[in-house]
Amino acid sequence: MNVVEAVDLRRTYKTTTGTIRRRSLEVEAVRGISFAIAEGELFGLLGPNGAGKTTTIKMLITLLIPTSGEARVLGHDVVEDARWVRERIGYVFGGDRGLYERLSAMDNLRYFAELYGVEPKGQRARIDELLELVGLKGREKERVEGYSRGMRQRLHIARGLLHDPPVVFLDEPTIGVDPVGARELRATIASLTASGKTVLLTTHYMFEADALCDRIAVIANGEIVAQGTPQELKAGVADGSVVEVEVFGVEERSVERLRQLAGVRAVTVEDQEQKQLLIVQTAPGLELTHAILSQLDGASVGRVSSREPTLEDAYVALVTAA
Amino acid sequence: MSNTAPESRVPRGARGNAGTRFRRAGRTAGQGRAALRVFFVGGRISYRALFNWISPVMYVTTMLGSPLFQILFFTYLGRYAGSRSDDFFIVGNAVQVSAMAGIYGMVMGIANERQFGTLTPLLATPANRLAVFAGRALPNIVNGLVVSSFGFAASWLLLDFSPDAASLPALAFVVVVTVVSCTALGMLIGSIGLRARDVFFAANLVYFLMLLFCGVNVDVDSLPGWMEAIGRSVPLTHGIEAARRVVEGATLGDVRGLIVTEALIGIAYAVAAYVLFRFFEAESRRRASLETF
Ligand SMILES: Nc1ncnc2c1ncn2[C@@H]1O[C@H](COP(=O)(O)OP(=O)(O)OP(=O)(O)O)[C@@H](O)[C@H]1O
Ligand SMILES: [Mg+2]
Repeated sequence: MNVVEAVDLRRTYKTTTGTIRRRSLEVEAVRGISFAIAEGELFGLLGPNGAGKTTTIKMLITLLIPTSGEARVLGHDVVEDARWVRERIGYVFGGDRGLYERLSAMDNLRYFAELYGVEPKGQRARIDELLELVGLKGREKERVEGYSRGMRQRLHIARGLLHDPPVVFLDEPTIGVDPVGARELRATIASLTASGKTVLLTTHYMFEADALCDRIAVIANGEIVAQGTPQELKAGVADGSVVEVEVFGVEERSVERLRQLAGVRAVTVEDQEQKQLLIVQTAPGLELTHAILSQLDGASVGRVSSREPTLEDAYVALVTAA
Repeated sequence: MSNTAPESRVPRGARGNAGTRFRRAGRTAGQGRAALRVFFVGGRISYRALFNWISPVMYVTTMLGSPLFQILFFTYLGRYAGSRSDDFFIVGNAVQVSAMAGIYGMVMGIANERQFGTLTPLLATPANRLAVFAGRALPNIVNGLVVSSFGFAASWLLLDFSPDAASLPALAFVVVVTVVSCTALGMLIGSIGLRARDVFFAANLVYFLMLLFCGVNVDVDSLPGWMEAIGRSVPLTHGIEAARRVVEGATLGDVRGLIVTEALIGIAYAVAAYVLFRFFEAESRRRASLETF
């Protein structure tokens, strides 16, 4: 059975600009997306900033009504049966807002346990279990205002799981968490599906998506541009290769010329302290290293290497093509 | 298993119906219990979470200090002007300061939810909205009674306020009704604050306007007609009038009309506040209007 289903979902926002001469503006945040998540599946929603991931999640968790299209969770319509759906889903969003600062983590959890109708008898034990799970045990009596970003993020996760929901929506759950903590959280997320839960996850970390997700949808400008297992998405660019070039002070002009080069699929520039890293994806069967280097006139070049494409490369190719 | 045997003799349809009805009844009872816990336990936790003046220093200055000086100020001013007895000012102000607790506390208890960014997670829960909303009122009502009692007690100590002991239960009852209706007014301002930005400014304005319109220090009868009309359509006015009469020796029966009017006004404001809250919730799902400022 499909636990989460989105059918041609759309959502526009009306906003106004200007203070004196007000103009109303329509933003098409989500433009007809469809997908289905099977029971026990960990489904990733990837896409650049503003692609419409959070908007999609907000529709699925009943906080926003779709402009058109339908969505169902466990077979129930998210608009018609909002309360039924709310009882059975957990929702975790990234960032450090959305907690009661003056309350301790314990009281934040106790409050939401009441709001989710967690039986008073099992509450203490459940909260203890979750504090243990997210690694906040021992700090639960402290007020949230003294919490670090990562600690808040862990508390968000604990809160989303209080009522042991069969379906969990995680919107950038590892944002702001240190590498060791993020690794622990990934293990936690993996354990959710291991215990039979269905999970929808958004993240900007491709290795995270690669490691966790059974299937991924890449969304750009409110539309799904690709959908499949991480392997399938990688296969889309796997035939090519990736040339990485370290350069010192590359000019925008040169990068533009590289993009025009025959056989080049995508170019991204990563700024690294003194230098930049050019990541050039190329079509299969071409030895483009020389052609690439010849476009970088003037800039001094460091290490040059060539490697197999990763999920991140597949993602970049998909998103830049969209 | 032996206990399945009798059940298997029940006709299929009937068994299903009874089962569904049974389950539904159980479910409703469960939801009722959950709603009660949201009302009492949730209300108490949310008060600690959202009431800005919860720390002892802030509480003593805003909830006890400033009411005390308000009572003293107007009573001495009244003595100086020589127009009315001390009791007129003491009762008017000691009841009104309880309104402050209800109004400011309630505004914080609702509007802060958006200010703190916790409204979205709250609205994502399946919790019974009426229980969530009404639960916020209880701690504020209790606080209002504490503040008012403190005001009366301080007046007894410092201003020789000495009503007949027999009138105290009736006075307490009138104060309870008035605090409840003022809390309802706070609810309404709080609901407006879910959408409007600086609602504390509105709360301040309302507080000071009450001093003028509600017969706290000036008889409502002596105000111009339009002011009197406003005064008679908001919480507090009838409560203060009833409290004064009771202190003068009237029984609850004598002031029944005033108490009922005060209560009805309070109910009307509470209903309006809740309807507005639900309207904003529904609208935010359609227009994303509660997401950001
Ligand atoms: N409340 C709102 N009012 C108006 N426009 C909005 C609102 N929320 C989102 N948008 C717009 O909708 C689009 C999609 O936003 P959304 O938050 O869904 O993106 P996202 O994929 O979650 O991005 P990110 O990776 O940065 O979190 C953006 O253009 C955004 O500006
Ligand atoms: Mg987002």
